Amino acid sequence: MEASAFTLAAVEYLSGADSPIQFPEMPAAAPAAVRIAVVDSDSGFVRVLGKRLGAVGWRAQLLPTPPAVEELQSMRLHAIVIDTALLGSEAWAYLEHLGGHAAAPAVVVCTGPSSVAQRVRGLRLGADDWVTKPCHPEEVLARVEAAIRRRRAAELASQPAEPIVAGELEIRPDMFEAFVGGRAVGLTRREFELLHLLAAAPGRVVPRERVYERVWGYAMAHGDRSVDVFVRKLRKKLELATPGWVYLHTHFGVGYRFDPQEVEEEETADGGEEA
Amino acid sequence: MSRFSLTNRNGREFFNLFDEAGANILRAAELLDELLKAWPDESGLEREILICEQEGDRITHDLIQLLNRKVPTSLDRQDVYALASALDDVVDYTEEAADFLNVYNIEAPMEQAQDLSQVLRESCANLAAALSRLERFGDFHHELVEVNRLENEGDRILREALASLFANGIDPMVVIRWKDIFERMEQAIDACETAANILESIVVKHA
Repeated sequence: MEASAFTLAAVEYLSGADSPIQFPEMPAAAPAAVRIAVVDSDSGFVRVLGKRLGAVGWRAQLLPTPPAVEELQSMRLHAIVIDTALLGSEAWAYLEHLGGHAAAPAVVVCTGPSSVAQRVRGLRLGADDWVTKPCHPEEVLARVEAAIRRRRAAELASQPAEPIVAGELEIRPDMFEAFVGGRAVGLTRREFELLHLLAAAPGRVVPRERVYERVWGYAMAHGDRSVDVFVRKLRKKLELATPGWVYLHTHFGVGYRFDPQEVEEEETADGGEEA
Repeated sequence: MSRFSLTNRNGREFFNLFDEAGANILRAAELLDELLKAWPDESGLEREILICEQEGDRITHDLIQLLNRKVPTSLDRQDVYALASALDDVVDYTEEAADFLNVYNIEAPMEQAQDLSQVLRESCANLAAALSRLERFGDFHHELVEVNRLENEGDRILREALASLFANGIDPMVVIRWKDIFERMEQAIDACETAANILESIVVKHA
């Protein structure tokens, strides 16, 4: 493995105490607890990069073999550094799948020499950046930071500046709160995220597993009743704040649907049931 | 001399305390079952489970004190001590499981925990029924068989519960919290089986 040996030698030389190269410190505004996965079997490179990531306070998962894309997605990562050489012919499908998720992390491909066509294809399929080995961990880190910055800017830009108005509710993402006639409903952060997620897809059934993954940031364990409990809490608060309206509907065995409906007084509200 | 002494006053004191212990473990298991069904809305039930745990300690203490003072004429001393300890374990583990719900700041129950609490409740109900008839040795074979069956059921649920926790992508904090709770509940069910086995050996000795 010439490339690996060279990479190791190069990064050890460059990151050594006698290194003449001085890097500027990370700006104070840099994210404090970035979660990153490094999918690479080049132990020397991973060791040096892992050390550097630890030094800047990032939470790094070092994975010598590529896990399933769903597993990476459920880790609630900000970024992934991946050597596509580990994936062989599956590399393109993997990259595409990785970037196809709504809350996909920034993907930086860090691999050996490649052709222009390969790099273009990778970037078009969803990679945010492409670094060719041998490379310095400081450069990888800086590229990851830049990719995360771009993602965050894009996320902010894509967030609805306008509140969601439905029934008597006004859902304000900028305040993490919902209001009825100007009065706050009094939602916790998690309750707000749950309401916002469902309200952003009005009329559509969102499966419980999907709700859990988006609001809690992890895969839902079989049997976990967290989503049901939080929907119940949310319903109680909405019922108090806006009686006469039903917002959340249960689809048994599947999930929940946001669909504001005004109900007659004698009509029984669709409340209390769990999916 | 026969070890049976149905009218013996010493024996009656032991039997009464075991009867109390049976009612106490059943009460604790019922409360845990209710707590898990209503969690997080009914957190006040933990206090009542703690009272059961203290009551269990009191009964165990009374049994050991009685054992030190008097010779049980119809039961082996070792059996009395082992049975008292097993029953104390049932309520101790039950209380620990309930306590962990608060300590670990559990947001919502898991179905498998509700299933385990149901098994524990049934197991304690059978054990309590057997203990209430301890004076008439041998009249509770069905209950003891049922406790053993429920223990196997508990093992099965625990295995499934652990498998669900160790699936890909689960929050490690969820794994840590629930693994502890599941294991405490399973230990309570195991302690029921231990108590049932001791009762079985008592029956054999008096056959």
